[in-house]
Amino acid sequence: MSEYVIEVENLSYSYPRKANVLRNISFKVKKGEVLGIIGPNGAGKSTLCKALNGLVPHFYGGRFSGRVVVAGMNTLEHTVAELATKVGLVFQDPEEQLSGVALTVYEEVAFGLSMLGFPKEEIDVRVKEAIKKVGLEGLEWRAPFELSGGQTQRLAIATVLALKPEVLVLDEPTAQLDPIGKFEVFSVIKKLAEEGSTIVVVEHEIEELATFADNIMLLNEGRVVAYGPARKVLGMVEELKKCGVNPPSVTELTYLLKKEVGVDLEVPITLEEAIKIYGEALGVM
Amino acid sequence: MGLLRRTIAEVETFVHRLDPRTKFFFFLWISAFAYLFCDYGVTAILLAACLALAAYARVLRPIGLTILIIVLPWIAVDVFVLGLGPFGFPWNETEIFRFNIFGYEVPVYYEGVVWGVTWPLRIGVCISSAMLFFLTTNQARLVSLLVKLRLPYRYIYMVIATLQMIPMLVDEANVIYQAQVSRGLRTDVSLLKRAMHYFALMVPLTLSTLYKVQVRAIALESRGFSAPVKKTILYRTTFATEDYIFFAAMAVATAILLYVYFTYGFSPIAKMRFYIIAG
Repeated sequence: MSEYVIEVENLSYSYPRKANVLRNISFKVKKGEVLGIIGPNGAGKSTLCKALNGLVPHFYGGRFSGRVVVAGMNTLEHTVAELATKVGLVFQDPEEQLSGVALTVYEEVAFGLSMLGFPKEEIDVRVKEAIKKVGLEGLEWRAPFELSGGQTQRLAIATVLALKPEVLVLDEPTAQLDPIGKFEVFSVIKKLAEEGSTIVVVEHEIEELATFADNIMLLNEGRVVAYGPARKVLGMVEELKKCGVNPPSVTELTYLLKKEVGVDLEVPITLEEAIKIYGEALGVM
Repeated sequence: MGLLRRTIAEVETFVHRLDPRTKFFFFLWISAFAYLFCDYGVTAILLAACLALAAYARVLRPIGLTILIIVLPWIAVDVFVLGLGPFGFPWNETEIFRFNIFGYEVPVYYEGVVWGVTWPLRIGVCISSAMLFFLTTNQARLVSLLVKLRLPYRYIYMVIATLQMIPMLVDEANVIYQAQVSRGLRTDVSLLKRAMHYFALMVPLTLSTLYKVQVRAIALESRGFSAPVKKTILYRTTFATEDYIFFAAMAVATAILLYVYFTYGFSPIAKMRFYIIAG
């Protein structure tokens, strides 16, 4: 079996009424890897996420070419329901992804499992595990609509974690959350990343992404502009800026210090790294 | 937002604990008796029983409000149309009294008044018992009931989701209306114009609803909704002691009602000669 959980080769896609949303995209993701996808609005990030669980093209139709293989399953040859246990997709708006028929957090997490016909005993075990993983213990019998934004998004993550997917795909999971909600959700993602989950995450919060992503892909107008280790891609300040993506502040500062003043420092991508690098440069560490 | 959210999740009474089948049977049972008797007294007692259960289950407010909005105005119109004059109702024959209006003597007939009161009360019994079932039944248990009735899961979801979508749509309409008011939509206009404003909501509301439906469909599909397997139902519906007690009470009430029915002939076929309550 391949060491890669996700293999995307020459993927191109057009919606029925929007052409060339994805153009010739290729990448591979290893088990336990965290891939961050960044890019401006309309770059094709969400479409790429939907291609990973088969919604593109099964749900939307359109023109699809290339090959997407997730956990050994070619997405063209399997239904979205079959892929549901392989790829868990979490959407931007936490409320829109809830089933709408569950009155408690427990029932909401159990929904997908019951749709897939899991035995009740296993559903119970998996639901409890998933709720624990996202830190919603004690809220099992609370109604989903009573949760805060961050809690609702964590619930959404739990609903896909319960299916034990081999890949977790998060499409801008913090876009509609307040700072506390963002913190809660990032904490869960980081924890899952540390535990070895394979994660593909679309995120505008580059500074947070830099703290846990192994690789980053920069998309623009449906094309891959840059792809590689997070440090390398986030260090491409000019390219990021050209695409309308702000690099981490500390990375941009270091870049400008070199460009404008001639101070040549190692390029940090997180605040912690910057403190260390600047501290050493200033001789205080 | 929404009736469900204020009731089922927050309270747990004897009525809530009843098996959905028991409550559904109660709805059918009491509605059948409301139609079997053509008598405002008996029908009012049946409605009072529903409202008493609603009060006990702490859902009197939404049910009572619905009854007030539907039944009372209906009675007012029906009594006026059916009770006045000899032609308002085909079986009008017993004149109760006359009153003078603009120099005309207008007779008020007993049969028309009774019919005008009884029919809305019957509808009130049906509505209140149906709402009692709906407002006190956990959706998961409702799903379980519908599965037992062998309804395909796709249709079961459609029923449940529709019930949930209504309050969501009301919220969405409010948001769009407020957005339009913020952009200069005038509110200090006549009632007719304000009604026209609501038509202006239709296009954005329809578009936003279609979008939400699509997103919901995608989310469901991603969670295996259409997987060709037998769905697991989390809650098995089982009759408990409370259900048997409730059935016993219904059996006693059935015996009493049937005794009254066969003794006094409270039947619509008897064409109104059986109204002992009104004399």
